[in-house]
Amino acid sequence: MRFFKKTDIIIILVIIAASLVVWGAYRHATRKEPPRAEIYHYSQLVKIIDLDKGEDLVFSIAEEPDVVFHLYPDGSICFEESDCPDQICVHTGRISAPGQFAACLPNGITMKITTGDDADTPDLVIGGRQED
Amino acid sequence: MRLKTAILAIILVISLASCEARADQRYEAQFLQLFDTITQIIAYTGDRTEFEGQVDLIYKELEEYHKLYDIYNDYEGVANIKTINDNAGIAPVAVDPRIIGLLEFSRHVHETTGGNVNVAFGAVLRIWHEYRNAGIDDPENAKLPPMELLMEASLHTDIDRMIIDEEASTVFLADPEMSLDVGAVAKGYAVEQVALSAAKNGFSSGLISVGGNVRAVGIKPSGEYWNIGIQNPDTSSLNQNLHVVNLDGMSLVTSGNYRRYYTVNGVEYHHIIDPATLYPSVHFDSVTVLNADSGLADALSTALYIMPYEEGLALIESIPGTQALWIGHDGAIQYSPSFSDYIKK
Repeated sequence: MRFFKKTDIIIILVIIAASLVVWGAYRHATRKEPPRAEIYHYSQLVKIIDLDKGEDLVFSIAEEPDVVFHLYPDGSICFEESDCPDQICVHTGRISAPGQFAACLPNGITMKITTGDDADTPDLVIGGRQED
Repeated sequence: MRLKTAILAIILVISLASCEARADQRYEAQFLQLFDTITQIIAYTGDRTEFEGQVDLIYKELEEYHKLYDIYNDYEGVANIKTINDNAGIAPVAVDPRIIGLLEFSRHVHETTGGNVNVAFGAVLRIWHEYRNAGIDDPENAKLPPMELLMEASLHTDIDRMIIDEEASTVFLADPEMSLDVGAVAKGYAVEQVALSAAKNGFSSGLISVGGNVRAVGIKPSGEYWNIGIQNPDTSSLNQNLHVVNLDGMSLVTSGNYRRYYTVNGVEYHHIIDPATLYPSVHFDSVTVLNADSGLADALSTALYIMPYEEGLALIESIPGTQALWIGHDGAIQYSPSFSDYIKK
C-alpha cells in the first residue's frame, strides 16, 4: 500500500501553492516602504511627498497657499513659513523620522511622517507639549 | 491514513494561524479641535467600523473634558473653569464632578511637587500669555512683563483660597484677583480618565495622544510593546529621535521649551513659568516622564522642568513607578536609575 495517493500529493501541492501565494501577497502588502510625508488639511489627505528622492522642493497646498513647506535633499521636511500667529508649526523644525508630526492648528494642517507597518519604527513621536 | 490526515490538518492549521495573526488591523485618526493641540488615536481593531466606533466615543468624551477645562471660552449650558474664574470673589459655582475631580487632583499635585505645579497660578500665567501673544503678533515691539506686575499678580496665587465643596459640587475662589490655569494638568488628567473609560468599552490595544500626552492601553496584538520616540529638542539635528521607549499600558509625557515661545531682544522666552522666579524656567531643554497615570506624568513633567535635576530626581524617586529623562541645553541627557529598562534596545 502506498503511503500517499496521487490525489493526496496534488492536494498538498495545491495547499502549499496557495500558502505561497498568500504569503507573497502579505509580504508585498507589508514590505518596508520608504518614509513619506502625508499632509492633511483638517481630516483630508491633500498631499503625499516621498522623502527619499533627494529633492530640494519648496511648495504650498492649494487649500492654504500662505503656508510654505520645504523638503530638503536629506529627506527632512518642515513648515518653512506660515501666516499663523503663534508660529508653532515653524518652530517645530525639520522632521523626517516615521512617527514624527508637525501641525499648524490655525490653518488646520497636520503633517506626519509615515512608512509601511514596520515594527522598527515608533508608533508616535513626542517632544514639547503645545500649551502651558 | 491517520498520519496523512494529521499532516493535512497541520498544514491547514499553519495556514489559518498565519491569517489569524493578521486579524486585527492598525488604524489611525487625528483631530485638531481639542485642547488647542493635535489629538492622535492609534489602535488595532477587527475592522474600520469597530475603530471608528471607539474613536467616536473617545472623541466625544475628550470634547466634554475640553469644554469643562477651558479657561478662555464659554459654552452654552456648561459651567467650566472660566466660569469659576469669572466668579472669583463673587460666588461659588456649581460644576460637573469632573471639574471637582481635576481640582482635587491638582491640590494633591501641588503638595507632591512642593508648589511647583499650582493651578491657582493663573494671575501670573495670564500676564505672560498676554505679553507672549502681543510679542508674537508684533515681534519688533515684543516686551517682557514688568516684574512689579508679576509680583503683584503672584500675591493672588494661594491654592488654599480655592474652596471646593465636594458634597455641593461647587468651587469658589475666595480671592477676587485669583484665577485658575489648569494647563499643566488638564490634558493629562483628561487623557487618563478617557483611557480608563475607553478600556472599559473594549478599547484594548491602542494609543491616545493629546498634544504629546501619550497614554497606552494594553500592548499590540502581536505581543509587542507600543514604541514612542522622544524627539531631540535640537530640531536641526539629523538624530531626530533620542530614544524609542517601550510602553505597556503606561503614559509618557514631555515638557519642552522649543515650540511655544516668543523672542524679546534676541532671547527666546518659553511658556513654562517658575513660581519662584516668575520667569520661564531655565534648567532644561526638555523633560520626559514615564508613569502609569497620564495625569501624574503630565504634572510631573512640568514640575521636573522647573526644578533643578537633583530636586527633581528626589521627587520622582519618592513616587513609585516613575521614571524621567532630562535634556540639558548642551544636549546632555540625564536619566532616572531605571529609565533604561524602558528604552527599546
